[in-house]
Amino acid sequence: MQAFTSLSTQLSKRFLLPQVATATLELIINKALALNNNKSVSFAAVAQKTLTLELAELPFTLCFTVNTSASKTVVIVRSRSEFSDCTINTSLNTLNKLKANQSLTQLIKQDELDVTGDIKIAQQFANIAQSLEIDWQTELAKHLGDVPTHKLLQFGNKITKSLVGKGKQLEADIGEYLVHEKRLVVTNSQINAFNQKTKEVASKVDTLSARIDKLVANIANK
Amino acid sequence: MSSTDQNSPASDLSTTPNTATDVDTSVDTLADDNSTTHFGYKTIEKDDKISMVAGVFHSVAKQYDVMNDLMSFGIHRLWKRFTIDASGVRPGNKVLDLAGGTGDLTAKFSQLVGREGQVVLADINSSMLNVGRDKLRDKGLVQNIEYVQANAEYLPFEENTFDIVTIAFGLRNVTDKDKALRSIYSVLKPGGRLLVLEFSKPENELLNKAYDFYSFNILPKMGELVAKDGESYQYLAESIRMHPDQETLKGMMENAGFEQTSFKNLTGGVVALHKGYKF
Repeated sequence: MQAFTSLSTQLSKRFLLPQVATATLELIINKALALNNNKSVSFAAVAQKTLTLELAELPFTLCFTVNTSASKTVVIVRSRSEFSDCTINTSLNTLNKLKANQSLTQLIKQDELDVTGDIKIAQQFANIAQSLEIDWQTELAKHLGDVPTHKLLQFGNKITKSLVGKGKQLEADIGEYLVHEKRLVVTNSQINAFNQKTKEVASKVDTLSARIDKLVANIANK
Repeated sequence: MSSTDQNSPASDLSTTPNTATDVDTSVDTLADDNSTTHFGYKTIEKDDKISMVAGVFHSVAKQYDVMNDLMSFGIHRLWKRFTIDASGVRPGNKVLDLAGGTGDLTAKFSQLVGREGQVVLADINSSMLNVGRDKLRDKGLVQNIEYVQANAEYLPFEENTFDIVTIAFGLRNVTDKDKALRSIYSVLKPGGRLLVLEFSKPENELLNKAYDFYSFNILPKMGELVAKDGESYQYLAESIRMHPDQETLKGMMENAGFEQTSFKNLTGGVVALHKGYKF
């Protein structure tokens, strides 16, 4: 694992992957901000504040800084910053739990999340992210036209439903396996005991075979 | 390794080297002693360099960004991002973007230092400065940026003014690099840092050869096609080869007074980011 981390760090530095990742992320975030329809979102509380995310899966950090001006608000993403108002040390899995509204304090207690600095900054960033309203259908229609957008979204919904159904089925199958079938599966110790007994029988058969050979030889000599 | 003939006339290119490996950067010092310097592979009078470099940048200013994207396949944006990441900039800082050209670094610094901070975009070339100013204003970046036409050798700022000074792809065009580094050192605050992003010497010999072929055969043609100025891009390729390599530049920074100097090769050493502190 350490060798893998070291290799990924080397590769990411050589090919400027942190810069590629932050540039892409910055583009997506600022595009989303530009498309936001909820004009009541206020960025004043996080203006010039920096939130740093240290994800266990990434060999570099993600630092988000908000810049507000009279004309627009932009988020600048960097792969490192020597100054941060709040630093969150966690994993992608825990971030998903946060999205599912699991309590921040509960995750901290479980040592799944480590926060350094002003926790309010993290909460304000999260609140802003949740309050963004983007009408993807209207935005897509501007580029594709009304009918293709409608068809595309219908197709997308169908795929999503199908994937959700398949996911539930898989979950049920795994549950069934864990609850019922796993009990019937031969355990390691049972296999070991079987192997041991087989060896004992083989040894007895060998002894018997040797005795029979000896008896046959005796009869032949007489 | 052969060196260039310092006494050859400027127009005589018969003795000029064709590849980076032929160039001995130590000739820079010799050239300085004789009050001559380099303009690409040509040896010229020091006093002529400013106007000759100015001519190049007046010519390419309008197509500068397009050419940068084309020539570097867009990678220059990642190199500049790396520089921003290494700058340690924070809200309220005062930053000097020297030879800032069309303002790529200034734009980001302006957003990161906020209203409390300030960014000075300085360039010796008025055409580049005008293009940079128009570009940044079009982006709505006006509140904390100042524009100054300045020579890096004689910076018109008080001592101990800036927290960060950056010079990206500019140092190789400066006539007296040592003087420029001393001037930068003077305007930095104690604790401040200098970041020099500049073309350098590739680490791998194969990459070096491919890079040479690209620089001397493809780059000038691209310049001719897009910016209608192949000569300027020939100068660009030559000036890169004449620029001090990684270790030499690090030594020059130390001579100017910088401490904790280090460099990081990017894209196999095609570009290097040098960093040094004033304490």
